[in-house]
Amino acid sequence: MRNSVRDLRTSTGMSQAELAAALGVSRQTINSIETGRYDPSLPLAITIARHFHHRVEEIFHVDD
Amino acid sequence: MSTTDRTPLQTFLLVLIPFAGLVLLTAIGLLLREYAPGNMGTGFLVGAGLALVAAAVAGLRVVRHPERATTFERGWTQRGDERDDLVLTRALAVLGLLSLPLTVAATLLIGVGVDQLPILLALNLALMATLAISFAVINRRN
Repeated sequence: MRNSVRDLRTSTGMSQAELAAALGVSRQTINSIETGRYDPSLPLAITIARHFHHRVEEIFHVDD
Repeated sequence: MSTTDRTPLQTFLLVLIPFAGLVLLTAIGLLLREYAPGNMGTGFLVGAGLALVAAAVAGLRVVRHPERATTFERGWTQRGDERDDLVLTRALAVLGLLSLPLTVAATLLIGVGVDQLPILLALNLALMATLAISFAVINRRN
């Protein structure tokens, strides 16, 4: 699954560590999500979407 | 998500389980020193002591510098997020899957007359290597 977490994070000027602290996960988890190696659970995806004031489907995209 | 919020029961268990483990390991070590051949008891106590020190260091790192802790440290100290739990669960699943054929192979080798002690030592080392390698690979891929 592709996502635009990195774009959203950099557009807000946050580091991976700051976003991780805001979401209550590790920096490695944020890095893995951004690089597409790890797909977050639905609760975490919703938390990420709420953090950036977006809907989940605006951030996470299924590969076609 | 984060698993840092604990109930009093969970906190109690987190203290009780390591203490009970320490008592159990010491008892086993003393029994082995008394009854087992060679330096098996001393070796067990030294190994268990090193493992406990490593666990204590991991615990301290997770509590004092959580941002610097590794996936392995967070996973084993039950302070990890959902990805840490996933990596640990998958690594343990690989260990569980491989433990069956490895144990069968060790049993067969002992059955055909190979010395038991080297086989058991090799089995333990193979299981530990399986866990370490699978954890590293899964952590890298996820």
